[in-house]
Amino acid sequence: MSEVLSGRRILVVEDESLVAMLLETILEDMGCSTIGPASNIEDGLTAVRDEIVLDAALLDVNVAGQQVFPVARALADRGVPFIFSTGYGAGGLPDEWRERPTIQKPFTESMVREALLAAMGVVRV
Amino acid sequence: MKELAKSGELAVELAAAFDASPNAYMLLDVDLRIAGANQAYLDLTQQSREALMGRYVMEAFDAGGDTGNARMLRASFESVLRTGKADHIAVIHYAIPLPDAAGGTTYVDRYWSATHSPVTDASGVLKYILQHTTDITELETLRSQVGTREDGPRSALDTIVSGRILQRAESIQQDRRRIEHERNRLLEMFMQAPGFMAVLTGPDHVFEMHNAAYGQILGRSNIIGQSIREALPDLAGQGYFELLDAVFATGEPYEGRRSQVRLKRAPDCEPVTVFLDFIYQPIRGSDGAVVGIFVQGHDVTDVVMADERQKLMIDELNHRVKNTLATVQSIAIQTSRSHADPAGFAEAFQSRLLALSHTHDLLTRRHWAGADLRAILEHETEAHGPHRISLNGPAVDLDPPAALSLGMIFHELATNATKYGALTAGNGRVLIDWRLVDHADPKLSVEWREVGGPRIEPPTHRGFGSRLIERNIRHDLAGELTTDYSPDGFKAEFSIPMSKAGAI
Repeated sequence: MSEVLSGRRILVVEDESLVAMLLETILEDMGCSTIGPASNIEDGLTAVRDEIVLDAALLDVNVAGQQVFPVARALADRGVPFIFSTGYGAGGLPDEWRERPTIQKPFTESMVREALLAAMGVVRV
Repeated sequence: MKELAKSGELAVELAAAFDASPNAYMLLDVDLRIAGANQAYLDLTQQSREALMGRYVMEAFDAGGDTGNARMLRASFESVLRTGKADHIAVIHYAIPLPDAAGGTTYVDRYWSATHSPVTDASGVLKYILQHTTDITELETLRSQVGTREDGPRSALDTIVSGRILQRAESIQQDRRRIEHERNRLLEMFMQAPGFMAVLTGPDHVFEMHNAAYGQILGRSNIIGQSIREALPDLAGQGYFELLDAVFATGEPYEGRRSQVRLKRAPDCEPVTVFLDFIYQPIRGSDGAVVGIFVQGHDVTDVVMADERQKLMIDELNHRVKNTLATVQSIAIQTSRSHADPAGFAEAFQSRLLALSHTHDLLTRRHWAGADLRAILEHETEAHGPHRISLNGPAVDLDPPAALSLGMIFHELATNATKYGALTAGNGRVLIDWRLVDHADPKLSVEWREVGGPRIEPPTHRGFGSRLIERNIRHDLAGELTTDYSPDGFKAEFSIPMSKAGAI
């Protein structure tokens, strides 16, 4: 499965350094390049605007006390698939975003991979 | 009559007539003190005028301790005071004190019939209560005697004398007293009830009455006689008028739970939101048709708010726990990558967890308001002793995220110094200096300098510790970092904006 994700450029928005580092490690193991990690909404929006190649994104719902939804909106407008990571569970998401793949903290490598594949619409054989 | 035209003379004449009347009269002021009595009254009660004048009537005539009858008499006086209308007591069993032969006082059982009439001044203000009382003891005695003679024939006169009419009058009177008593008690309960209550009349829901709690919740008074749409215009559009219309039309009660109401407690105030549990209960007339609605309920705003606060707190706690678990997970996975043997992993992992835990402790001590930089440094370096670590800088109050970041940074720096740098052995020392610079845009500037240790070489790869330090400073604290691996000792300098770190 991993070869599907190999070489993909994934934006990470996560304000907690240790969690961001974990995501970097996990993505690296899957052969992905990490864009960011952005630790606030502004940097996240800048990345969505400026990065030419962006295959998917991994968004922490609560970033430095703010909600990540402006970044989600910008990604949706650009047609980039994304997944949410949250300590609240899917119940903490507004209706607009509830259908999006969500991983709950703490997460494993396989949870991240499955969610990314689901978001990118990769059908498993 | 000409000479009576002067009011003073008229009063004298009237007083004389009052005194000469064969009917017993007694006058009470509004404090229920005896203000006058005619001769017939004094004869009837065998009291002197001097003994009675100015005395509180319930004390002068205390019914020989029969509180039930005393209460009935006082209720009649109070009814006159309250309503300004005459009150009648058809029969009252009331013992009065009479002087006995031995010079003492004996209570003698008597039955009375009494009328209490209001006496007002020219402007209509109640001044006195006039009691006209008749001793009907003989009639009562006769009645009870006849009443026991059940066998003999009974004439119409017998029936009257035997007191059937009297008996009925008495029982009606008792019913009336009981009903009035009950009504007053219910009214009092209604008015003082902690829950809110109101009675609305007719299809327009006109306020007939409401209790204190109702007025308080709505912040309104003087709404009696107004329709609910007139009295509470700020409730328009919230569905309550329509609910009342439906209850009135269908006769089906409506119960609202934790119902949100926006209302203005004063005309110029911002609307407030309250949450109410309530019921609209139809009131039916004798023909069964709905004539009004009884509204009652209570304010549950505090309960709803407390529930919301609790839910928020649980969500926040859950969020923090999950984030902490993710942090611990990250430490575990990244530590495992640089430690092939389980023992080494366990030691490194535990020491990182303890570093995190120590900063938590410092923050908890101050209810998560912040922590002092020196306290964090002392915790991370105390194992090496004061002669090997020099801490030099002012008090700096850090906010919780900055305290947690710096706790981990100093832990990694101390670990590296212990493994590769000045704290490996011998006389190496670590000098830590910090200061606040640039007062317009204050920054915390920290220098970590290792001296006297073994010769060092730049690392061949960046381990977890180095990455963690760099990411925390650049990312979490929006700061700048320089590191210097000169052979005579490692040096790190970083500065972070206090807008990001501080609680100064």
